[in-house]
Amino acid sequence: MSTPSSLEELIEALRCLPGIGPKSAQRMAYHLLQRDRKGARRLADGMSHALEAIRHCSRCNTFTESDVCERCASTKRDASLLCVVETPVDMNMMEQTQAYNGLYYVIMGRLSPLDGVGPRELQLDRLLARACDGEVQEVILATNYTNEGEATAHYVSELLRSRGIKVTRIARGVPVGGELEYVDAGTLAQAMRERKNVEA
Amino acid sequence: MQRQKVDGQPAYVLHTYPFRETSLIVEAFTRDFGRVALLARGARRPRSAIRGLLLGFQPLEVSWAGKGEVLTLMKAEWQGGQPLLAGHALFCGYYLNELLLHLLPREDAHEALYAAYAETLRCFADGVQEADLRRFEKSLLQELGYGLTLATDAEGRAVESAGHYAYQIERGPVRLSRPGDSALSVSGKTLLDLAHEDFSDTRSLAEAKQLMRALMAHYLDGKQLETRKIFRELQEL
Repeated sequence: MSTPSSLEELIEALRCLPGIGPKSAQRMAYHLLQRDRKGARRLADGMSHALEAIRHCSRCNTFTESDVCERCASTKRDASLLCVVETPVDMNMMEQTQAYNGLYYVIMGRLSPLDGVGPRELQLDRLLARACDGEVQEVILATNYTNEGEATAHYVSELLRSRGIKVTRIARGVPVGGELEYVDAGTLAQAMRERKNVEA
Repeated sequence: MQRQKVDGQPAYVLHTYPFRETSLIVEAFTRDFGRVALLARGARRPRSAIRGLLLGFQPLEVSWAGKGEVLTLMKAEWQGGQPLLAGHALFCGYYLNELLLHLLPREDAHEALYAAYAETLRCFADGVQEADLRRFEKSLLQELGYGLTLATDAEGRAVESAGHYAYQIERGPVRLSRPGDSALSVSGKTLLDLAHEDFSDTRSLAEAKQLMRALMAHYLDGKQLETRKIFRELQEL
C-alpha cells in the first residue's frame, strides 16, 4: 500500500524538528491524524500564527510580537547599560539572576569563522547602531566563554571602543559555592591567570 | 578495516560539528595519528563531563576506539600549559585550523607538524607575530611534501640576495632581470630570509606573506578560506 502524498509531506515536514528521524516523524504523523485531530489543528494554527506574529525587536533583536519588545519599552530599566548575549535563552538566564537592570541586545548567534559565520550573517552593524544611539554608556559583553563567544566579544569590543563606548566583559572563574578540589582544571588555570587585586 | 583502540593520545581540537541531538563530531589533530574524526557521544548534554573540554587551541589527551572513518571518543583529559587564546590570536588560530582541515589528509601522522602547531599556539598566547604565521605555513608545506626551494634557484644555483626572482610552484625561484609584478615575485633577500626563518626585515616579511598566500591558494586548489573572508569583513566594519 502506498502512503498518500499529503501524509508523506507531513512526515517529511516533521523531520525538520531537532532529534526527529523518519521513524519518529511517521509515529507523530499517524498519532496526529488517527488519535488527535484537534491537537493537530491547534498545532497547525499555533504554528502559522506564531510565524506571522513573531518577529525581531527593532531594539534588542529578540523575539517579540510588537515592533519594540516589552523590556526595551519599559521605563523602569536603566537605558545606559546594554548587555550583549548570544541567544534569547542566555538573556532569560541573565534576567533570572536579578543582578542586572539594564537593556539587552541578542546577537542570535556567534562569530564562527570555520563555519563561515561572520559579521554579515550576524548583522553586527545593527548592534553597532543600537550601541551608538547616544544613550548607552556601557556595553557589557556576556557572550559565551567558548572560543566563538570570545571571538565575538573581541570584535564587538574593538568596534565599540573605536567609537568611544565603554566596554566590559562578564567575569569568569570559580563558581559561587565552588570548592577548588572539584573545579575543573581549565577553569582554575584561567582563574589564576585572571586573578584580581583584593580591594581593601 | 582494523578496529583500533588508542589511549592517552596528545591532541588538539580543530573543529566540532553538532551531531544528532546531543553528540559532537570532533575533528582532532593528534600527534601520532594526524587528523582524525571522533564521535563524542552525549558531549552536548548539559551535564556532560567533557562539555567545555572539547575546546580548540587547548592541549588534550584523548582516547578512542572503533573502526572506519569516524571513531568513538572514549575519554578526553585537559593537559594545561596553554593559556586560552583571545582577541586577534584567536582569529589567527582559526586560520591555522582551517589550513589543517583543508590540507591535512585524514589519519596521516605528522609529528613534526604537530610540534610546530603546539609551538605556534604557545607563541600566540604572548601576542601574534606575523613571523609565527610564516614559520607555521613553511613547516606545513614542508610536512605535506611541498617543501620549498629557497636557498637555490630552479636551476640549482645559489640564490643571490640582490637578485629578483619569480617563484615557480613545485620548481623553485627563477631569476628575473628586473623586479616582477606577480604575487609570486620575490627578492633574493626574501627567499634567503625565509630559508633561515629570519623575519627581522619588514620588507622580507611582507614579501614572504604575499608568497605564502599565493602558495596556499595554489595548494588549496580553489577553496576559499572562510577565516580570511571573515577577517576582511571585520575590517570593513
